[in-house]
Amino acid sequence: MIEIKDLQKSYESGVVNDCISLSIPQGSIFGLLGPNGAGKTTLIRMLATITKPDCGTILFNGEPLESKHTQHMGYMPEERGLYKKMSVWDQLLFFAEIKGVAKNRARKRAKYWLERLDILEWKNKKMEELSKGMAQKVQFLCTIIHEPKFLILDEPFSGFDPVNADLVKELVLEMNKKGTTILFSTHRMDNVEELCDELAIIHQGKIVVCGKSTDIRRAQYKHTYEVGFSSNAPHKWFETHCINQRTNPEAYIIYELSCKDEKEKNTLIQQAQAHSDWVLFRENLPSIHEVFVQTVSEI
Amino acid sequence: MKNIRIIFKREYLSRIKNKSFILLTLITPLIFVAFYAAVAFIAVQSGKSDEYTQVNYLDEHNILSEAVNKDTLSNFIFHKVDHPTEMKELLDNEYLALLHIKDKDRLSIDSLEFISSQTPSITKISSLQSYLTDDIFTQSLGELNITNKQLDELKPRVKFKTLEAKLDGDLKSSNSGLKSGIGMFMAFIIYIFIFIYGSMVMRSTIEEKTNRIVEVIVSSVKPFDLMLGKILGVAAVGLTQFIAWIVLGTGLITVISLVLGLSAGDSSFYQEIAAGGENTAIANDTVSSLIQSVESLPFAKIITVFLLFFVGGYLLYSSLFAAIGSAVNQDSDTQQFMFPVSLPLVFGFIIAQSAVFQDPNGAIAKVFSYIPFTSPVVMSARVAFGISWLEIFTSFFILIATFLFMVWLSARIYRVGILMYGKKPKWKDFAKWIIRKN
Repeated sequence: MIEIKDLQKSYESGVVNDCISLSIPQGSIFGLLGPNGAGKTTLIRMLATITKPDCGTILFNGEPLESKHTQHMGYMPEERGLYKKMSVWDQLLFFAEIKGVAKNRARKRAKYWLERLDILEWKNKKMEELSKGMAQKVQFLCTIIHEPKFLILDEPFSGFDPVNADLVKELVLEMNKKGTTILFSTHRMDNVEELCDELAIIHQGKIVVCGKSTDIRRAQYKHTYEVGFSSNAPHKWFETHCINQRTNPEAYIIYELSCKDEKEKNTLIQQAQAHSDWVLFRENLPSIHEVFVQTVSEI
Repeated sequence: MKNIRIIFKREYLSRIKNKSFILLTLITPLIFVAFYAAVAFIAVQSGKSDEYTQVNYLDEHNILSEAVNKDTLSNFIFHKVDHPTEMKELLDNEYLALLHIKDKDRLSIDSLEFISSQTPSITKISSLQSYLTDDIFTQSLGELNITNKQLDELKPRVKFKTLEAKLDGDLKSSNSGLKSGIGMFMAFIIYIFIFIYGSMVMRSTIEEKTNRIVEVIVSSVKPFDLMLGKILGVAAVGLTQFIAWIVLGTGLITVISLVLGLSAGDSSFYQEIAAGGENTAIANDTVSSLIQSVESLPFAKIITVFLLFFVGGYLLYSSLFAAIGSAVNQDSDTQQFMFPVSLPLVFGFIIAQSAVFQDPNGAIAKVFSYIPFTSPVVMSARVAFGISWLEIFTSFFILIATFLFMVWLSARIYRVGILMYGKKPKWKDFAKWIIRKN
């Protein structure tokens, strides 16, 4: 869907995006991670055609990115707002119109979405009369009213209350199922782990890690396994071989054990099977959070 | 182009649907009419002779005639005080005004004492002075056996009838006062409206920036289209308001005239006003000359110039105001940029005043009616005095060319400014943004 090659952008303050190359596959939910000031928003602004890169190319479905492609894009920036004096209805129609949706279709869609979110009776209210939660819903609807093929969400859950955040999450997943490619920019790792198939970590203007989320976690794999038991019966072998042990809602006790090869793994399985209260066995992949912290701190 | 239309439509509709806009559009003509009615009412009331001022006077040498005591036409009631002691009593008690005439020689009378409990108005003092001058003058004439009527007949009346020679050899009546009035009125209206609607564009830009809507919009609409759509939208709002005011104002005046039983075209009404008890023949002459002067005004030119230069001037200044609005983060930051940008307009207005009153076709007036930053105001002030179409269109062409250049320049500031937050901009930032690539 999106191919970014050797993208560079600098301001008076210095280089903000340096030789960025990325590929966002069609139909994926792509997470763009990075600490504050890493250059995420600059990259997103270039993708949304708000600013142009100094050099490098962005391809949209194989074509060099142009303003005509913005009709198929939805963009919700981190800092957001709408026209205070405009009604919810007019606002939705205006955003649909600038994205090239015909009036009749825009009306139908606006009605559908307002009904869907249970806010149809608010359609004639001005934005300044709405509660913050309500305004957040309208903001999101303005972003997706034209049913974009590519949706850019910059810190989508910041400022949203938990109920609305869940609602947005649900809608985003629904749109993704229908084929919309989604780019998430966030530093909330729980969302990334939950939603993203692919991710890139950007730090000091450079992409430092990029790929499928499981591959990235595997790349930082420390060859450890977790074995869990459901009771406090003695697990002597595990107690002597483990490198770490903890409790968890999934099991009464979980042991973390180092396992360098297949042979050691088989021994581990055999030892676990010897206990009747054995309930859990898994590879101990680092969480995205751990990957992120480690990657950023290494540089 | 499509995006400009969409932005234009939003800007226009959201403004004219606004309650405060509707209210202002409806109320302004009412306020104007009420204002003029109040002025007229006050003028009529103050002109009425039912407010008399009692003047008690002590005339030691009988300089004033006896007639003043019987006069009922003036706004003064004179009461002669015969003795200085009576004067003293009046000073001790309540009184309205005391006049002490001490001088013996009435021809050299120049220092009467006027004593009152409250400071009298200038008009009251001057009307009393001229009343007394007339009285003494009439007495002097009487001594020479000359009546007022004889004197009037002796006095020659020199009054120009100003005529303007047209190219076709036709001579038309012209009135410099009327033209100056029209010129100043148009210059003032253009000056005010450029400010009102220009700041509307600026505030709208600031609103979009502070509400952070702009980032979403510029992801679909080019900053240039956004700016131009906004400028044109507000221009349409201005023209709508203007037309509404003209229609409402005309309607209101017609209704008032009908209610008062007057027809706007009824010249006898004006004649009555002009006559005011004076010589009706002279008044008739004045009115017909005035009507002729109005008829001889180049209305087509005046209206064309007004519309062209109002729109042109607004476009030029509003593009600058939009650039300022895009650069700042809040309303209060605009002051330092607004002042130098609007200075040429203020200067233009000063030039318009001197041009109209002193030499509407002089070199200064001509030069400034070609400079695009002053031409909207100066040109509209001059148009009633007769300007050639060539001059009008040359100046308008320069104005539009400058607008196109300024809108390009402003758009370069705008595209960067709208996405800049936090830091308060400086002039050098504007220069940097203009030369910055994409």
